[in-house]
Amino acid sequence: MDLKYKNKKISGILTVLPSKEVSFEDGIENYNFSLAKSMKLKLAMGYNKRRIVEDGVCSSDLAIHGLKHLIDSKHLDKNDIDALLFVSQSPDHFMPPTSNIIQGELELKHEMLCLDINQGCAGFIIGLQQAFMLLDQDAIKKVVLINADVLSPKVSIRDRNSNPLIGDAASITIVEKTPESNEIYSSILMNGSEAKVLQIPAGGFRMPSTQETSTMKEDSSGNYRSLDNLVMEGDKVFNFVQAEVPPIIDRVLNISGKSKKEIDYYLFHQPNRFMLQKLADKIGVDRDKLPSNIVENFGNASGVSIPTNICYNLGESLVSNKYNVCLSGFGVGLTWGAMVMELGKLDFNMIIEF
Amino acid sequence: MENFIENIAELLEEENVNLNDELTSFEAWDSLTVLSIIAFADEEYNVTLLADEINSANTIEGLFKLIQTKN
Repeated sequence: MDLKYKNKKISGILTVLPSKEVSFEDGIENYNFSLAKSMKLKLAMGYNKRRIVEDGVCSSDLAIHGLKHLIDSKHLDKNDIDALLFVSQSPDHFMPPTSNIIQGELELKHEMLCLDINQGCAGFIIGLQQAFMLLDQDAIKKVVLINADVLSPKVSIRDRNSNPLIGDAASITIVEKTPESNEIYSSILMNGSEAKVLQIPAGGFRMPSTQETSTMKEDSSGNYRSLDNLVMEGDKVFNFVQAEVPPIIDRVLNISGKSKKEIDYYLFHQPNRFMLQKLADKIGVDRDKLPSNIVENFGNASGVSIPTNICYNLGESLVSNKYNVCLSGFGVGLTWGAMVMELGKLDFNMIIEF
Repeated sequence: MENFIENIAELLEEENVNLNDELTSFEAWDSLTVLSIIAFADEEYNVTLLADEINSANTIEGLFKLIQTKN
């Protein structure tokens, strides 16, 4: 479906990356493949360095670190936060909501809304959509959108499918009303019949974690993982992205009235370089307008990948300039969404470490 | 067909391949090769292949026929 928003803006983006960096080579001996084959994979997919948390660090730790940084540096007044959205697939607990935990830790006011949203690769698009809708209320003037994912503990280190790309991160995006008249265009589609293409089978209520679910088993490609681990059907995900993303980009551009050329940057979710370059070619945009360098530098932190992309690739230039951007997230759900908006003149656009 | 064989040989990192060669017999064969074939079929023939279908195709000829039936 197509969604339109008026007089809303992003006023700042902060990405929080764990300081622990690991390289592709660090894990290479865990894979059941020859060195040559693994190095070929590294080159093709653009795997290199990535950021993961130290044992025990949770999504809310990264988020609170980022929020405290913004409050201490006077980029954010905590009394101004009318809603806190926490988009993640790695909550601290099943209950209570992690957004409430964050609210409590930061001693935020009671006169506000805290909301957890379970979304993955499209989590930045979904979060922005919810933030814009909340801002239609008179009582809500400023929304803090947190995207946070710490999924590295759920990925088997012997899984060459997922381990070389997984990253952990959090981002904080300030979303508010603007007196300038503008329009933001978005499209969102979902296909739950393919929901299990990307999943963590055990650990929820349907299949609680047991000794049995933690047993490592080899799959037909030579990867070892247990039912407690994240599993991805790579071929189906690839086909889904190549089939569904180009049409939704055409669709959102069409409703925005903008041509492909008028868009300065295509800032997409970052599964791997291989998939993104194929996607750029298929959509028909220059590869340098569609950055694909997040996985090789930081790994793929699911819903945090678009903010990381924005902070890393556009940085300070988004404080002084404004650009026409097309955002797109696609994956877990399956969910795929896109958004066309003017982005810029931000109060801040930066990366800090945890 | 010639073009197809040339492209597949390149993906498999071989000078020459024969129609009755078994896919899994190649040194380079792994999940990355399968993904490369999926991407190749999508780009060149606008055909969507699944990993299981490629594995069940067994030979170079089987792969060619698989793409043809879907084209």
